[in-house]
Amino acid sequence: MSGIGSIGPHVAKPVAGGCLVVASLVLLPVVATSYQLGTLVVSMVFLLPALGLNLILGYTGMLSLAQMGFFGVGGYTSALLAMHFGTPFWLNFLAACVVPALVAIPLAIPALRLRHTSFVMCTIAFVFILESVSKNWVSVTRGDMGLSSVPRPRLGLWSGGFEVHTVVQYYYLGLLLCMLAVAALVAIVRSPAGRYMIAIREDEILAASVGGRTWHYRLAAFVLSAAFAGAGGSYYVHYITVISPTVFDPSYTNTVLVVVLGGGVGTISGPILGSVVFVALSEALRVAPELRMMIYGLILTVSVFAFPKGLIELLASVAKRAWPLRARRSHAD
Amino acid sequence: MLQNLLTDGLVIGSVYALVSVGMTVILGVLGQINFAHGEYYMAGAFAAWWGIDRLGLSYVAAIPLALVIVAAISLAIGYAVMQRLVDVSFDAGIIATLGISLLLQNTATLLFGGTYQIFDGGWLEPVRVLGEDVAQQRVLIFVVTLAVFGGLEWLVRKSRFGKQMRAVAQNVECCHILGVDVRRVVLITFVLGTTLAALSGVLTAPIVMNVYGSMGEAITLKSFAVIVMGGMGNISGTLLAGWLLGIMESLVAGYVGLQFRDAVAFALLVLVLMWRPSGFFTTKARY
Repeated sequence: MSGIGSIGPHVAKPVAGGCLVVASLVLLPVVATSYQLGTLVVSMVFLLPALGLNLILGYTGMLSLAQMGFFGVGGYTSALLAMHFGTPFWLNFLAACVVPALVAIPLAIPALRLRHTSFVMCTIAFVFILESVSKNWVSVTRGDMGLSSVPRPRLGLWSGGFEVHTVVQYYYLGLLLCMLAVAALVAIVRSPAGRYMIAIREDEILAASVGGRTWHYRLAAFVLSAAFAGAGGSYYVHYITVISPTVFDPSYTNTVLVVVLGGGVGTISGPILGSVVFVALSEALRVAPELRMMIYGLILTVSVFAFPKGLIELLASVAKRAWPLRARRSHAD
Repeated sequence: MLQNLLTDGLVIGSVYALVSVGMTVILGVLGQINFAHGEYYMAGAFAAWWGIDRLGLSYVAAIPLALVIVAAISLAIGYAVMQRLVDVSFDAGIIATLGISLLLQNTATLLFGGTYQIFDGGWLEPVRVLGEDVAQQRVLIFVVTLAVFGGLEWLVRKSRFGKQMRAVAQNVECCHILGVDVRRVVLITFVLGTTLAALSGVLTAPIVMNVYGSMGEAITLKSFAVIVMGGMGNISGTLLAGWLLGIMESLVAGYVGLQFRDAVAFALLVLVLMWRPSGFFTTKARY
């Protein structure tokens, strides 16, 4: 294990590809309509919790369906701070990462004692408990009515500063946040801790046998995934400017699942691709939300048997078939 | 009031038990949680509503019609999906059945509209039971539940098929060697389990009075709580756990507040998973 940075050619290609993608995303508003940009903003809203789910499911091997619960907690935190204290966006955003992470700790203590199905059920129960809190803590969350006219994100050090209004501005804000989040995820999974999480995914008992405390790393994965989800909640609530207990609806969790599993679980680029493809798909099917959910259902069921590694793997195999052809041609030159 | 709440809880609990036992049997044999289980409950209620409202059938005729329709649906899904789940990991099973749940739920909404449909059927005349007026339908639910659980216990313990079910639950490889048709056992168990969920839906529809596409969602989640409390794969434990959940919900709704009723299942689920993950009624369980 000589450090991933020194491998060279293996890493050069994804880095070059990544730069190309980032450059084209930065330049996109020049050609895209505001409707298309709006769709991408929604994609990015789902990408943030999806990155968290990818960390816990793809790299640590625990299926947590609590992601959208933490998304909601982050959204409420960010909205309440902005409404009551008029704090700038960076502070709301940080708080929206920290508070769900703190909420996740006491929840993780019972949940992490469980494995397999029991763990999944327990995480579903969390979403309902959080929903119940948001519905019944009327003095803070205003119950079923929810919070409306949440301030738009204000980019400034403390007071004053620049307020994000147009779709293009939201797009660039989201792009910045998503790039930071992707960088954070890459840093986590490439760190020794991340490698240990992957070891837990492969075989928890074996991982424990080499001397690590698996419980600590599973806790870290759970808490970090909550922070990612909370980040998404913050971006979401300042974009939509309303939040109500419907944010805990299972359909959001299902969307995040489709993004991660349909895109490619356990890869960095998979959920990114998934968030664009599947959210754009859902926007195209806006006329009939039932149809969209039916297609999501089909994707989930079929993906388990047909492409368990997601869309990115399908693309990779297609590219591999095209690649040797081009390689041969360049040799001939 | 207390007695009223208790009978109410017992009837609702019977409904939960009837749905959950299907899930617990499928879990026991297949080793997979069926996340779409509540959708078969919904499908049962919807099929009966369709028979009554669109075909003009009576409630008595609508019951077998609904069961046949749901059995056909689950036979198709069993062939296409559930049989393949024997040898995939548990999270793949959860995701596949979650997909089916989305598919069924939204198909129903697309076919019959997103609004509540009024269920016009059932026997709602009161009868006196232990000095109290109870709707006939509620008595029927209670009696049918007892009969179904009796039948299931007989099936699993005494019949040849039950022996095969228990064999598959214990060791799939061994069943292959001994010539037990694992796929057939899985398929039949799945159809049986989902048809029980449908039966529960048909019998409950006259009490809840309206049917809608997403009515199964809450049922799936409550079934988790019931099968965990009952000890996963344990049949009579499921009945007791269903009654326990029903009675506790009804007491909380009566004395604490209606808005906390649905939280009971999840609070119980987390507590049981923490302190008694093998359920209340078993010494040994599969999970």
